[in-house]
Amino acid sequence: MRNAFLNQLSILLLGATALFSSCNSGVGKTSSSDSSATKGTVKIGVLHSLSGTMAISEVSLKDAVQMAVDEINAKGGVLGKQIEPVIVDPASDWDLFAEKAKELLIDKKVSAVFGCWTSVSRKSVLPVFEQNNGLLFYPVQYEGEECSNSVIYTGATPNQQLIPAAEYLMSEKGGGYKKFYLLGTDYVFPRTANKILKAYLLSKGIPKENIIEEYTPFHHQDYQTIISKVKRFAADGKACILSTINGDSNVPFYKEFANQGLSSATCPIMAFSVAEDELRSMDTEFLVGHLAAWNYFQSNDLPENKKFVADFKAFCAKKGLPGGDKRVTDDPICWAYTGVYLWAKAAEKAGSFDVSKVRNALYSLGFDSPDGPVKMDPRNHHLAKPVVIGEIKPDGQFDIIWKSGGLVDPQPWSPLTSPDKDCDWVNHNGTYAKK
Amino acid sequence: MNTSLLRMLMCCLLLLPLFSAGQDSASIYTAQLLQPPADSVRTQAIGRLAALRIPATFPLLMAINDKKLYLLDQQAVTIDSHPSGEGTYRLYTLYPDNTLLTNSSGQPLLLPLSALKTVDIPRADRLQLAGIAPLLNLFSNDPQKRSLAYSQLKHTSDSATLRILKAALAKESNADALRTGKDALYAIQLYNASTTTIAKANIDSIADNWSDNAPVLLRDYAKSGFLNQETAQYAAAKAVGLEKRYDNLQRVQHFFSGLSLGSILVLIALGLSIVYGLAGIINMAHGEFMMIGAYTTYCTQIIFTKALGVPQTDLFFFFALPFSFLVAGSLGWVLERLVIRHLYAKPLESLLATWGVSLILIQTARLLFGDLTAVKTPQLLAGGWQVSPHLTLPYNRLFIIALSMLMVLFTYLMLYRTRLGLQIRSVTQNRQMSACLGIETRRVASITFFIGSGLAGLAGCAITLIGNVVPDMGQTYIVDSFLVVVTGGVGKLAGTILSGLGIGFFTKISESFFQAVYGKVFILVFIMLFMQYKPKGLFPDKGRIAED
Amino acid sequence: MKTKNNTLLYILFVAFFAILLPAGYLAGLLSVNTISVWGRYFCFAIAALGIDLIWGYTGILSMCQAFFFCLGSYGIAMHLLLKKTVASGATLPDFMAWNKIDTLPFFWQPFHSFGWSVVLCLLIPAAFAFIIGLVLFRSRIKGVYMAIITQALTLAMWLIFLRNETNLGGTNGLTDFNSILGYSLSSSSVKLALYLVSLTVLCSAYYCCYRITHSKFGKVLQAIRDSESRVSYTAYKVEDYKLAVFVVAALLAAVGGMLYLPQTGIITPGRMDVKASVEMVMWVALGGRGNLKGAVIGALLVNFLYSICTSLFPDSWLFILGFLFVITVLYFDKGFMGLGDIIRQKFSATRLKTSQTH
Repeated sequence: MRNAFLNQLSILLLGATALFSSCNSGVGKTSSSDSSATKGTVKIGVLHSLSGTMAISEVSLKDAVQMAVDEINAKGGVLGKQIEPVIVDPASDWDLFAEKAKELLIDKKVSAVFGCWTSVSRKSVLPVFEQNNGLLFYPVQYEGEECSNSVIYTGATPNQQLIPAAEYLMSEKGGGYKKFYLLGTDYVFPRTANKILKAYLLSKGIPKENIIEEYTPFHHQDYQTIISKVKRFAADGKACILSTINGDSNVPFYKEFANQGLSSATCPIMAFSVAEDELRSMDTEFLVGHLAAWNYFQSNDLPENKKFVADFKAFCAKKGLPGGDKRVTDDPICWAYTGVYLWAKAAEKAGSFDVSKVRNALYSLGFDSPDGPVKMDPRNHHLAKPVVIGEIKPDGQFDIIWKSGGLVDPQPWSPLTSPDKDCDWVNHNGTYAKK
Repeated sequence: MNTSLLRMLMCCLLLLPLFSAGQDSASIYTAQLLQPPADSVRTQAIGRLAALRIPATFPLLMAINDKKLYLLDQQAVTIDSHPSGEGTYRLYTLYPDNTLLTNSSGQPLLLPLSALKTVDIPRADRLQLAGIAPLLNLFSNDPQKRSLAYSQLKHTSDSATLRILKAALAKESNADALRTGKDALYAIQLYNASTTTIAKANIDSIADNWSDNAPVLLRDYAKSGFLNQETAQYAAAKAVGLEKRYDNLQRVQHFFSGLSLGSILVLIALGLSIVYGLAGIINMAHGEFMMIGAYTTYCTQIIFTKALGVPQTDLFFFFALPFSFLVAGSLGWVLERLVIRHLYAKPLESLLATWGVSLILIQTARLLFGDLTAVKTPQLLAGGWQVSPHLTLPYNRLFIIALSMLMVLFTYLMLYRTRLGLQIRSVTQNRQMSACLGIETRRVASITFFIGSGLAGLAGCAITLIGNVVPDMGQTYIVDSFLVVVTGGVGKLAGTILSGLGIGFFTKISESFFQAVYGKVFILVFIMLFMQYKPKGLFPDKGRIAED
Repeated sequence: MKTKNNTLLYILFVAFFAILLPAGYLAGLLSVNTISVWGRYFCFAIAALGIDLIWGYTGILSMCQAFFFCLGSYGIAMHLLLKKTVASGATLPDFMAWNKIDTLPFFWQPFHSFGWSVVLCLLIPAAFAFIIGLVLFRSRIKGVYMAIITQALTLAMWLIFLRNETNLGGTNGLTDFNSILGYSLSSSSVKLALYLVSLTVLCSAYYCCYRITHSKFGKVLQAIRDSESRVSYTAYKVEDYKLAVFVVAALLAAVGGMLYLPQTGIITPGRMDVKASVEMVMWVALGGRGNLKGAVIGALLVNFLYSICTSLFPDSWLFILGFLFVITVLYFDKGFMGLGDIIRQKFSATRLKTSQTH
């Protein structure tokens, strides 16, 4: 009897908490729309994994967003309102990404969301943003082939990273490499990247047998077999590796590479997913001399960048974040930070936080980012920016060895693999067939 | 170093008749290069120097090319590629003479990098040297650079270059570089051969020399049909022979890879197996003890470099080995006291509780260390043992194999040659009976847990040699190591070793046929089928006691 | 007396979730997102019932329930994606076009029809469970071995699903659906309907499981849990019983997965990685195994905590969850449902004392 009574009690408790939380979110909804007018705050969502496998990369982006918000708030906010970031943890769980996106858009009524790293997390939240008229600022380089009205892609498209890198390696200056080993982690970015790279290399007259494509699972640790294949492939010189290996597989990969007697002199590795933040506390001994292609490096000596780097270090030290003033900036951090400013600037320009107005204000919007002036595309939601190639130095920084002449325009649909498609939200309804 | 100086001189002497003009302008350009009034002047100066090809400037140009150009009191100097002593380097002047700098007592002057001023030459400027890099690099200090230089000369046929090549080869001391150099020499001779006999002799030399690209070279020659059909066929046959030998070496490489992976699995599973056998505990946090071991190694490194201020030493790693054992072991002991003690003989509950523990440990590590960290590989274990020119066995993997063998031996001795081992084995067989016979089962369990976790910590320390240190690194190995334990039979030392090595070999062999992912799937299916015949592992307990 | 109280409990549960929550939504107090989130928890609860049957009642720890859950989800996802593709005039789903596949793989064909999809979503997991069960139970694999082998199996399947060659979307999984049976998935009323369907299915699943556990079949299952050898000595075909309950559990997981998909909008192999499969077992462990109510409450509560903790304490929620697991396993043998018993014992002990002193 009493047992049952207590059971009921626990059920009721459960119910009460549920009701409380749901009411809480409901109340929050109404009060926030009132308060944003009176109290003068505007909410933005921060959707980066703070735990799980992706935390290693994404936590830094959360910090960058937080810093941009603090800076803007210190200068008086946007349209006279202070920005209030709502930080949630999607825990590297792709389903939870969708749930948290819904929570941010529907319950918390945020004006914009800054987040995601992996392609799968972006794909997971994409329908949520499209159905609920949200706006996601996505700061990481990605595989393209997407043209959503709800996403502002501040990271690179394939032509802003992959193609210039391959072009550089084939050029006289870059070493005139003739054989390419495309090695990646098995997920959508490397797959698509390598598809585009392969099409590009073939179009440049590289014979098919001089291009090898290979994929390893996530968290692959044992590169013995692959390196011995590479060794054989690179035996007659002029071979290089284009690496889209992700995250924690990189250290074992580079270590095995060096231990089996290969080096950047004989076979350089051009990495598309290795940035300063990953190199920060890695043993860089094995990586020195290898290359990476990005849109931004911390070693950029613009005064804006020097200030940005110093500010970021100071911010991390002040907030007592792990790493403190040893923290470094890198490409995604720069674009996560820039994203917040772009949004703020667009809102100022539009005079409103309304998603469609902000979106319209974003077209052709220019901004002096730490990476120099950048500009939103006039027709779609991508960012035009410079491309840089760097050589890894022993201190984990990059020696900039090549820089594109000016801003490189984004091509979400690569003309190499989808010559008939383009992305345009001004004259067309997103992706359209080119005539 | 003297040989390299000699080489330098040789180079100068050989090249002198070819480029005797422009000695004066070289001095001007050199001065411009070091103190350029504008960047464009420096660019121009380097370009001119490269075009002049004056041997006396080669050391300077090489220093630029190697990014090792420094200023010491306005004098251009370069350093050795490796430090001599604690972070100090020997110095050489560059132009007009290339000599070793000495101090007042005639000993080589040793200076740290901080005492020198780095001269930064942009890569764009350095790239102007690309054209003469092969010639520069023939006389480099770095054998790898020399190898590359030799291989780039393969298709030249002018006699001057050939003469330089021969001179360089005469002085060559490094086996690898010598092989590449000879390859280039024979290739040039082969393509210049006028009779079948000379061509065949050169083909034989190439095959005997067996450099990395010998098969490709021979095949190219065969395809081109350069001299006549006979030599082409001869070259093709030799190429096939070489490839066959290469394939055999590849097999040895796969065998080694399998042994290496197997020994890692054994190292991890060893502790798991003992604990599992004794306490019937599925310790999902076992992988996290590995992680703790790895972080202990990381911390030891930090302490050595930061607190004790000894930057260039391998010592930290050998201190880290016992430390990681002790730290992981002690934490394991604490865990046993707090949690596991209450869960003996409840394997499924233990699975859940230890999973919770592993969540806590991972998050703690993430809060403490934050992100991706990696341990510096000791110099001693960097590189590899070159068994043959085409087979390198990395030292770090050899070390892990040795460590794993040592640990197996240690565990064997502990289990079968000590009183404690006897007690552990008896508790593993029958807890109640052992207790009746006066064995303090709780104490035995604590010690076993200590040793088991310690072994995991040691494995973690070893794994820093080949991988990185991340909070959830344990999860990568946990299912694999459980499979090893289950396949081998619970608490059976021999079973663990056999199944660990077996799984390692099978994975690597299947990986050479399929891609890495399918290799893994194949192994799992194989184990499932294996369990059909041996449901209790390779070495099941005999007798009725095994049944519940 | 007990049944009566149970009935009251059921009524309260149904009243709260079937009437109060939807009413709250209709009155504008709750957002449709809250409804949707609870709908998803119900799907987990359905799968948890299956785990309770096989683990709580039969004592077999199966770690491949997450895989069956995903099979159900993937089936429905394939159907929704095909419907969307056909509606948009294309012949192949987007991701396939990117992977340079020009014809629809044969195993996608039946998923054009909703009826077939549902049938296959049930049939495929059942067939998998049957084969796995046959192989494992025949060779008398049990206990820890069973747990590890099934976990390894899930891992293998996870690796296969991650591959792009499998043609199931690789790591990205399947996503971006717009309608189910012609109704738009983004509309609030469809979300509410899916919530109510999930609730109904949960209640019927509970009823079925209740009947199973209270039947002779259920008694044999519990006997197997308590002593397998004795049951087999008394001429019961233990393997057959285990196989049957394994298939039932797989079916429940698949049903949960099927309902889960339209409410979440994405399915990726991440749903069946090691973490996910351990967590599913954890729900039941926390709720109280061997107790159907416990399974349901465990699944609801853990997921509810997961949701709110990841929002409220982004940095420390893993500690909360981790400690919860450890403490529950250590002190509350029977999970939350056992909590009542423990308090009652304490309570009656003090009552006894007080009555003695008087």
